[in-house]
Formats: sequence, structure tokens, C-alpha cells
Amino acid sequence: MIRPFGESALLVELGSAERAQALAASIRDNTIGGIVAVVPGAESVLVELDPWEIESERVAHALEGRLARTAELAPIGRLRRIPVIYGGEHGPDLADVAELCGLTQAEVIERHAATELRVLFLGFAPGFAYLGGLPDELHVPRLATPRTRTPAGSVAIAGSMSGIYPADLPGGWRVIGRTSLVLFDPRGDPPAYLAPGDTVRFEPISG
Amino acid sequence: MIEVLVPGPLTSVQDAFGRPDWRHLGVPVGGAADAWSARLANRMAGNSDNDALLEITLGGLELRCERAANAALVGGMSVSVDSLPVAANAVFPARAGSVIRVDPGSGARGYLAVAGGIMVPPILGSRSTDLRSGFGGHDGRALRSGDLLEIGSSSTTPRRWTGSRPDGPIRIVPGPHATGISLDGEWTVGTEADRTGVRLDGRRLEALGEVPSMGLPLGAVQVPPDGRPIVMLADRPVTGGYPVPACVIRADVGRVAQLRPGDKVTFASVSLGEAREALASAEAELAALEAPGDENLGWTGSHE
Repeated sequence: MIRPFGESALLVELGSAERAQALAASIRDNTIGGIVAVVPGAESVLVELDPWEIESERVAHALEGRLARTAELAPIGRLRRIPVIYGGEHGPDLADVAELCGLTQAEVIERHAATELRVLFLGFAPGFAYLGGLPDELHVPRLATPRTRTPAGSVAIAGSMSGIYPADLPGGWRVIGRTSLVLFDPRGDPPAYLAPGDTVRFEPISG
Repeated sequence: MIEVLVPGPLTSVQDAFGRPDWRHLGVPVGGAADAWSARLANRMAGNSDNDALLEITLGGLELRCERAANAALVGGMSVSVDSLPVAANAVFPARAGSVIRVDPGSGARGYLAVAGGIMVPPILGSRSTDLRSGFGGHDGRALRSGDLLEIGSSSTTPRRWTGSRPDGPIRIVPGPHATGISLDGEWTVGTEADRTGVRLDGRRLEALGEVPSMGLPLGAVQVPPDGRPIVMLADRPVTGGYPVPACVIRADVGRVAQLRPGDKVTFASVSLGEAREALASAEAELAALEAPGDENLGWTGSHE
């Protein structure tokens, strides 16, 4: 489904992050005239165009053809291993999460670390990756009252997703651990450690 | 070099276009909230559109120029040099030691371009300050008293502007969701009006729920569950999960960035074709520049 998004953009809804990444990659590899940016979302791609060069109606037509040829891709990214100290001062919500899930803290850690998660898209803050694929038994609601400051490196979960705070940020996700990896460095190349399509595996380490 | 004597409530180094190419890694676009005014200030000062300049929020800025320079101030502020008022939207000369003062005026933001541009190192392709993440611009932060800003060299001619900016309703076109909902009519700007977005008050739309997070273009009008729309501006996050029934057209987004809390604003729906025509017209107004005549004091000649 291709929807108008102002005179300079279209929203292409694909129903899954995998297809959205595939379409974004396809446009980056083989662009369509007039497109100036593609931004993957949870199940969609924002396509921005230069209205001087082309009308959005014509880009929509070209995208229809491209969509028909865009299959679901296998994971396109790298495997990223992320060392985590779970619980204690580094994971202040681990005990509550265990209680909400009806599991022991050790079981929460084991299930979180046993799952290969996938970077669906980035947003909220530079380097913040939404990681999909969390097992159902770890789905918990956000905090009723968000923290005004969640420390950089906090590994957290909410709903069906996990994430890592790249900087000290306000946040409502439940923090179960912490990593010392730098997730975002504006002077780095690339500036973010994770990119859409990457596979992520958390590895428990002891503090 | 220019020295910040008094920074005002929020003055930062910005450029016109920000960082549009790093959004897939979560980096917001940023740049001038009213990019049209920033580009005009740069053009009047003889700079390139995307040169770094100062974005001044609600006035209160005082600077000292260490050497003579041409400068231009565009947007909703008034400006004086050594206590003498300078015409709005005009290029003016500052002599070595001159104090430039920017005061509140008709809008939220003013753009002060100095010939040669502000020399800060580009980060991720832009000299703009990302105030939330703390990088880019001058040390990744708003300006403070005592800050020294290096100015580039310039040998270009400053120019006088003969164009105008529309002052009618803010024009909107359809967004991807709930397009049956009309935002046309009058709104009041809420207290939450910053570089991220401008929240509208005065009436409430029906709750529209949430949608899967998606990339947000400039000017997207998000409707959160409380039914108070937010027009998303330069520092908007890369993605958002609220429905977007409408978008402010590109030609008018900068005008939204000039709104202050309590201001009245009227929306009017237009077609995509009309939105494109409005953009062409806004670009044409930007290009309405001419060399200043001899009577114009805004020309201090080539300088280093």
C-alpha cells in the first residue's frame, strides 16, 4: 500500500520490517529518479522525493512495479554480539520483569540471551535500535511512570521488543542489564553500532 | 571572530539542511527550524544557502564583532548595531568592535548570517547543532556568554532582498492516515512549541489510536491520543507512532517554526499541485535579490 505523505514524500506500507528493509535496500542499490531519501520504519518505508524533479504520483507508480519484485529477504545484516551485565544496579527492573513473567531472574536472563533478535529499524534517538523477536514469555508493559533518565548502555525490554539506550535518555522501557559498548559516536564511521537488518545476540557477562 | 556577550534563552549554530542522510541510523535531520529564513539570511550576506549561521530563539542575544563584517538578520526578530536599529530583513555592516543586539519581534526565531559563515567542523555532513544528543555546531550545545565563534573569509557582495513571504493560512495536504479528519480552521499554539514541534490547542480531534512506527517527514501533523495535533519540525525524532492525517506543505513549514505559544494559526487544505506551486513561489521569492545601491550602507566592501 502506497500512501501520500505530503507533496514531497510517500509512505510505503509493507507489513513487516523485513520487507521494509528489502525495499529500502533495493532503492538504495538501484534508485528511482527523484527519490532523495529512504527511511525504514517498523513495517514501512518513508520515501522522500524532490518535487522539483518528479511528482509524487509518478514515484508512486514506479514504486508499485518495484514492490511487486521485492521479496522478503533473509537477514541482510551482520551478527552483533553484545556483552551484558544483567541485574543488580545495572538492571534495576530485572526482579519486576521476572515477577511479571512468572519466571526466575535467571530464567529471564537465559531467555533474553538465548534469542537471536533482529534490528527492525532505528529511531527515538541516534543509534537506538528497535530489536524484534523477543519470545512471548518476555513481553512486559512499559513502566507506568517513565524514568527521566535511563543511563547510556541500559539494555531494556517493552512489549515484543528489546533495545539499548545509546545515551542518557528519558525512557519507559524496563531495564534488565547494561552494556559498556558504545552504540552511537557521531565521529565514528559508521556512527551507529547497529543498522537495520543486523542480528543481535546478548551475551551475559559477570560484573 | 565574534564573541557572545549575552546568549539569550536559546541561540545555537545551525545550517539550512541539517543531516538528512543518517536517519536510517536514528539521527534526526535537525538544521534551522525555519530553513527558508536561514537560506535568505545567508543569501543576503553573500553566503551559500547551507552555510552555518545563528538561530536565535525569542531574542536576547548580544554579540561583539572583532572585525568588520557584513551580516543579515531574517525572521521574527529586531536587530540593532551599537544601539542603532537596523531594518528587518536587511543586510547591514558591523565594524570592528561593533555590538550586534537581537531583540524579540514578530516571531519565534531569527537567523543571523555573517558573511563567510560560522566555521565549526561539519559532523555527519552538517555544521548544525544537535542540541538533544549534544554534537555538532559549537561544542554540541547552545551558545553561552564568552563563546568565541570563528568566521570564514568572504569576498562576495551582500545583497538586498526585494521579495516577500505569504501571510495567509498555513496550507496542508493529506498525510497517510485518517484523511477524513479535517484540520482546517483556527488553532491556538500551545505552550509546547520548540525545535521538535509545535503543539496546537483550542480544540481536540477524536482519538485516532496508534500506528506502527514510521519515518516522519518535515511538517507531518501527528495526532497523539489526547487529540491535540503536533506539527513536526527540524528536531523531530526519525520515527513516530501516531497517525498523521495531514502535512504542512514545504513552502509553509518555516512559517510554523515562527509561531509562539498563544499565537493564532489557521490551516487550509490545498491540492498537491497547489503545494508544488507554492514551493516554486517560495523559491522564487528567495531568489528576489539584487546588488545594493550606493545609498545602501550595507556594503563595507571586500574583507578578509
